[in-house]
Amino acid sequence: MTPELDRRSFLKAAGIVTAAAACGGGAGAPAPATATQAAATATAAAKASGTISVYSALNESTNNEFVKAFKAAVPGVEVALLPLAAAGELQTRIKAEKASPKADIFIGGDSSFHDGLGKEGLLETYVSANASAVAAQSKDPGNNWTGWYFGIFGIVMNTDRVNKEVGGAKPTTWDDLTDPKWKGKLVLGSPITTGGGYIFIATQIFRFNKDEAKAMDYMKRFHANVAQYPGTSPQAIQLVSQGQFVAAPNWAHDILTEKAKNPGVELAIPKGTGYEIGAISVIKGTKNPVAAKAFVDWVLTKEAGELNVKLSNRVSVRTDVPPAPGAPTLTSVEMVNYDRDWAAANKDRVLKLWQSTVGL
Amino acid sequence: MTSLRREPSLLLALLAVTGLVLVFIVYPQYRVITEPGGSGYVDFITGQTWVRPLQNSITVTLLSTTTAVLLGFVYAYAMVYTDMRGKPFFRLVGILPLLSPPFVVAAAYILLFGPRGIITYHVFGQSPNILGLFGIWGVQTIAFFPFAYQLIADVLSRSDARLEQAARNLGAGPWQVFKSVTLPLTRPGLGAAILTTAIYILEDFGNPALIGGLYVVLPTQAYGLISGFGDLNGAAAVSTILLSLALVLYIGKLRLDGGRQFVTVSGKASSMPRPPVPRYVSWGAFVACSLCALIILLVYGTLIISALTLHFPTNLAFTTQHFEYVGAHNLSLRNTLMYGLVAAVFSALFALFAAFLVERGKWRGRRVLDFLLIMPAAVPGLFFGLGYLTAFNGTFIDDLDETGGILITIALIFWNIPVGYQAATAGLRQIDRSIDEAATSLGAGGLRMFREILMPMLGGSLRVGFTTTFVRAVTTLSVVIFLFTTQSATATITIFQLVGDFNWGGATAFTVADVSMAVIALVVIAVLSRGRVSLGGARG
Repeated sequence: MTPELDRRSFLKAAGIVTAAAACGGGAGAPAPATATQAAATATAAAKASGTISVYSALNESTNNEFVKAFKAAVPGVEVALLPLAAAGELQTRIKAEKASPKADIFIGGDSSFHDGLGKEGLLETYVSANASAVAAQSKDPGNNWTGWYFGIFGIVMNTDRVNKEVGGAKPTTWDDLTDPKWKGKLVLGSPITTGGGYIFIATQIFRFNKDEAKAMDYMKRFHANVAQYPGTSPQAIQLVSQGQFVAAPNWAHDILTEKAKNPGVELAIPKGTGYEIGAISVIKGTKNPVAAKAFVDWVLTKEAGELNVKLSNRVSVRTDVPPAPGAPTLTSVEMVNYDRDWAAANKDRVLKLWQSTVGL
Repeated sequence: MTSLRREPSLLLALLAVTGLVLVFIVYPQYRVITEPGGSGYVDFITGQTWVRPLQNSITVTLLSTTTAVLLGFVYAYAMVYTDMRGKPFFRLVGILPLLSPPFVVAAAYILLFGPRGIITYHVFGQSPNILGLFGIWGVQTIAFFPFAYQLIADVLSRSDARLEQAARNLGAGPWQVFKSVTLPLTRPGLGAAILTTAIYILEDFGNPALIGGLYVVLPTQAYGLISGFGDLNGAAAVSTILLSLALVLYIGKLRLDGGRQFVTVSGKASSMPRPPVPRYVSWGAFVACSLCALIILLVYGTLIISALTLHFPTNLAFTTQHFEYVGAHNLSLRNTLMYGLVAAVFSALFALFAAFLVERGKWRGRRVLDFLLIMPAAVPGLFFGLGYLTAFNGTFIDDLDETGGILITIALIFWNIPVGYQAATAGLRQIDRSIDEAATSLGAGGLRMFREILMPMLGGSLRVGFTTTFVRAVTTLSVVIFLFTTQSATATITIFQLVGDFNWGGATAFTVADVSMAVIALVVIAVLSRGRVSLGGARG
């Protein structure tokens, strides 16, 4: 219990500590450990220690290995992990906790989740020295978050059923999926309830240079072949893996993860696909900024990038980290010009347009 | 009950109950509902994205409630009135659907009954597209009939056998006894059961999320707005619409009750045996219960086989490796057990006492308290949790317990009040007020009368509240999802993580461990409390 009590006094003493540190002394702070910490923050020779609380939207298997590797690389920092593979819920949680933040780090999930928090002033700006290896378009210009992996959208296929029922050919373009031979065989994560489903529609709009009429015409023809729009993204992959349906547009890295367990599924990446930028950010009000920033620094290293590729099949933003076997990269496949800000700003309107187009 | 003015202790108790309800039920909801602000509501309402989910919610609630209550009634009737074989077995099987997180069970249904389902395709050669309205309807019927069964069985078992014997002796046939004695006697209980089941179905998000496809209902829309888009305002607005629907159901309940009292118990439930039902009724009941049991066992069989094979259904090689997750995450199992048990005890007692105050009181405003006590049933778990996070983040409860366990337990207590409360209300209505009067004439105060006279007679209602709170605490994901901390993850959180990680084997192994733990806990409780296995509070 003792370390927990320390952390509790951290929370209470936050204001005082910050003030004390600014004055260059820690005498007024109630907990000695806290004072040392704050003094350390003020000096340049900061050594990361203590505990950080990490809200993670990464997969179960990735989380555990990641924390283990971080502790080995930066000894002395304990990581309390709050795993929830649902970035939207973590984002909501961080918003609700803004009066008394519980998290130091938010890791994983598309940058739009981090961007929303940043725009509300709930993130601490930080430019890691290691962020120089990250291309400008994968970082927040406002320095609220840093991208560290890409998730690329692809198609999962049930190989057996594709061979028997659709003639065995991999779709190479999104238009291939509108061929009548796919009728009743496709599923797509519901655009209403899954981020991936919406990214699919947005990708079509960007593919037609934001000509929404053309994109909706595509969605209508695509819809004619869709049997179901499942409520969650992983479920769509499960349904195809079980052979309940034949193919589904979904995240390439998740498809590869499933493929490792069931060789009966196949990944295809059509031309002009969309992607997410997986981000990491420091929560404003963190009680342990030194260790939190050390964590960000470590996540942006080549070592962490390689580990993430190995564990989750996602693509590192670092050009010196090779992709997982069979995984697409931003350069190996043709990407659509994905306008993240536009996609976020027009979400409600686009979804409504889509619903009226397909009559749902 | 004597007037509050003459009995200050009763007044204090009433104030305490009201205070707790205001702090732990009303205030968190208020925080969530006011979150979007006026313009947020206007934007959302005029956007009209809620119209279809609202229609869907109403449709699916009507359909699933009808079938779940019918099935629950048949099951309860069979358990209480017939002498069919295998009652302990059916009792246990009937409670299984309550014990498992719906997002795993719905997945098992798809494996069995989907377009390439083991039963539908590989046995019968059919490819039904069960994702959608029919899938939700089927799964919710199975998932929620046990709630109706528990409530109805409790009421049926307390209806007086002597009246039924008398009717038979006077020449009425079994059907006539059922129609004109049993059914009218169970009306308040039935009304409560229908209302409670309807509200749970309205609020259910796990099943529609997994099996609904594009058939979006209000809870899945709210959940999707948060999880897919981080749109808290829209989600809060949807939640408010849900609450309004619950209000409609509540008014319906008032009308159904009609203020009429059905007094059949003038003491401890009578020891007279119930009149025998004809053989064909017993056999019909046996067949109906067996069919239900078969479907439930198929689902659990699928879970167990999934837990013991490498990658069900594509790789059927035997393995125990998935159970490694159980050891690795045993903290979340222990948390689940502890929070569930503590919440169940407090929730059942609190619900019973509150029901006594409302049902036997004559003070003004008790209808309001009545509504507030069943309101949590209509609040999607996600919002209950979110409300607690918003309302109590950084408060004394936080300081009290860094792990978040206390806050989770309190949330589970108040979220689960409605079932225990409804059961207690139905129970109280069947206890003649003359018993209260006798006690007070002999000088007992209201509180003493409650403690020494009514409470011992309401064991069944208490057990319904206890059991239901426990099993819902064990199976809820949505309440906990915003409240758990690094120390207080529950079993459902772990299962959710494993499902999201495409670890179907690990998820099912953990589910099997979770359900087994809950069954063992319930059996131990039943044995300790009554010396016999009586899980549902139904006395056969």
